[in-house]
Amino acid sequence: MKKKLSDMDYNEKGAVTEIESDLRKRVAGMGIRVGKTLRMVTKQPIKGPVDVVVEGAETSLGLDMAEKIVVEVTK
Amino acid sequence: MKILLMGHPNVGKSVFFNRLTGANVTESNYPGTTVDYTKGWMKIEGEDVEIVDVPGTFSLNPKDRAEEVAVAMLHENKDAKVISVIDASKIERGLYLAMEIIEEGYPLVIALNMRDVAEDKNIVIDAGRLERILGIPVVSTVAIAGEGIKELIYRIKDAKPVNVADIIANAANASNTESAADAGGAA
Amino acid sequence: MKLSTGDRWDLIDKISKETVTFGAYKHTLKDAIGELTVKPMTGIPVAIAIMYGFWSVFGSFAGFFTDGFFVRLFDAYWLPWLQEIFPGQGGWLYAIMVDAGGIESGEFVLSSNCLESFGVLTSGLFVAVGVVLPAIIIFYLMLALLEDIGYMPRLAVLLDTVLHRVGLHGYAIVPTVLSLGCNVPGVAATRILETKKQRFIMMTLLAIFIPCGAQIGIMQDLMPNLMGWILLYLIIGYFIFGYILNKIVPGKAPEFLIDVPPYRRPLLSNIGKKVGGRVRGFFVVAIPFVLLGCAIVGVLYQLGVIQFLGDALAPVFVGWFGVPKETAGPLIAAFLRKDLAVAQLDAISDLMTPYQMITAVVLVSIYFPCVATFAMMLKEGWKELLGALAVLTVVVFAYGGLIHLIGILLGVA
Repeated sequence: MKKKLSDMDYNEKGAVTEIESDLRKRVAGMGIRVGKTLRMVTKQPIKGPVDVVVEGAETSLGLDMAEKIVVEVTK
Repeated sequence: MKILLMGHPNVGKSVFFNRLTGANVTESNYPGTTVDYTKGWMKIEGEDVEIVDVPGTFSLNPKDRAEEVAVAMLHENKDAKVISVIDASKIERGLYLAMEIIEEGYPLVIALNMRDVAEDKNIVIDAGRLERILGIPVVSTVAIAGEGIKELIYRIKDAKPVNVADIIANAANASNTESAADAGGAA
Repeated sequence: MKLSTGDRWDLIDKISKETVTFGAYKHTLKDAIGELTVKPMTGIPVAIAIMYGFWSVFGSFAGFFTDGFFVRLFDAYWLPWLQEIFPGQGGWLYAIMVDAGGIESGEFVLSSNCLESFGVLTSGLFVAVGVVLPAIIIFYLMLALLEDIGYMPRLAVLLDTVLHRVGLHGYAIVPTVLSLGCNVPGVAATRILETKKQRFIMMTLLAIFIPCGAQIGIMQDLMPNLMGWILLYLIIGYFIFGYILNKIVPGKAPEFLIDVPPYRRPLLSNIGKKVGGRVRGFFVVAIPFVLLGCAIVGVLYQLGVIQFLGDALAPVFVGWFGVPKETAGPLIAAFLRKDLAVAQLDAISDLMTPYQMITAVVLVSIYFPCVATFAMMLKEGWKELLGALAVLTVVVFAYGGLIHLIGILLGVA
């Protein structure tokens, strides 16, 4: 099932299928790219940032960015 | 000769810096900013070499002032060699930055640091194979324990600019031989 | 040859497949703690507990050394000894260096403690060494621990929601906390913010609303029961004016994107080096300015300049801010050192109600960054500095007047 990263539930995993083009370069340095598996760790209330783990590294990204990333959720 | 130490924040760059340089270390502000960096000196085969501890950055596409300075320092030292310090347990995103620097034509040595941490996480890296594909020296290190530092220094002379097309070709070759070997022996 | 972001990743994925084997990863206790401290349900209570712990240790450590040791040393031995041996009692040099004393029933009397004496070698040294030194050391020690363990990025994640509202993002907590030690490294740490707009807002807020460790140390010592109110006014101001600045300063305030590294065991040698460097850095800047500040205020008193300024500015002080005109002296001293200014305010506390004292200390905090911070801001560019000063002027009058107004409405001014 495809979901925006911002809509994922705690501990859900999945492979990134889409990143809006203006964001791709920005998140590349953190290891986030299309095809890579990530896990959603947590998100903060009231439009706070979303935490994900990619390749064992935890990254926190603002909600607006998380809304521009689509993930094929596996579990 | 000048050597730039580059890598992500928290990969042990400063530990390398302290291991490589002696007492003669200066800390200064990058002109026009409040971002500070350190530089020092070491001797390699009798030659005085300047070592610069560049502020940590995740890519050459800066997302804050410190990263801007890191990129600027790289660009104004066109003839420098670069030691790319990579957290071995997060090798992919480390290679992303290393590739960006290679693509700009800098001679590079890769230090796969925190090998012990990677091993704890059951991540095994074939440094020799990585070296053959990239065409540049790749040294496994545990900087905090001093492991691999000597080899790293020794290999700096082998750093040379490589053509990305060669890396692409090597990677394709490697995958072909791999699949041939797999067909024979893998279980 | 340069690759596109996508091509570069394709190549790296290919190389990684050939050279790296990822075995099964099992979660460690460290990972579990890492996640618990960043999830809001558990992370926010932990953050509050850590801040509270930080505060208690800070207060008791600083208090232990200042009250238990330095106050006795300075008041019982150092001051009487200097009063005795320094030549020219009652003269101007004596007044500036040792003790300005006071006139009681027409006779010159010496001060009984190092805060009332106003001398360079008495008040100046006591504030710098006896009060500020212990506060700064314990502050930087605990901060270095939190930094080296890897807690700060998690605190940044938890606070992002709030700080995003004032045009900053979670990582702004790093310069903010650092500024609670000293504004100079705090201003330097604004480098972790992305745009000019963010750095300007951050720097301005730091310079205006964040009291440094020296000032906190002395407030903790002299007016512990008022400090909570003073800090509350400053925090509220930080958010009100941050919100306003975010609306009026042109430019972008991008969202945050940070790496949250795993927890690590801190290296003792690293902490030692960090704390040593910061304390040294602080004192190289602080000691000369405390002593110089003491001397300048002493000279201005002797020349009658401060009394003159107090009278001239009385309508502003009394009418607008609601504080007595005697606060003119401390406010001038605050140009050089805010810790000194607070000590001098405390020395005239008989003239003020507690609310006036709160107002006066808040004014000392917000009205001008100390000279060292000023110099640091200039490094970022004079345009930014002028902008910050313009904001500062508006804030001092608006916020100072507002606090007075609140006092009037509450009936305590």
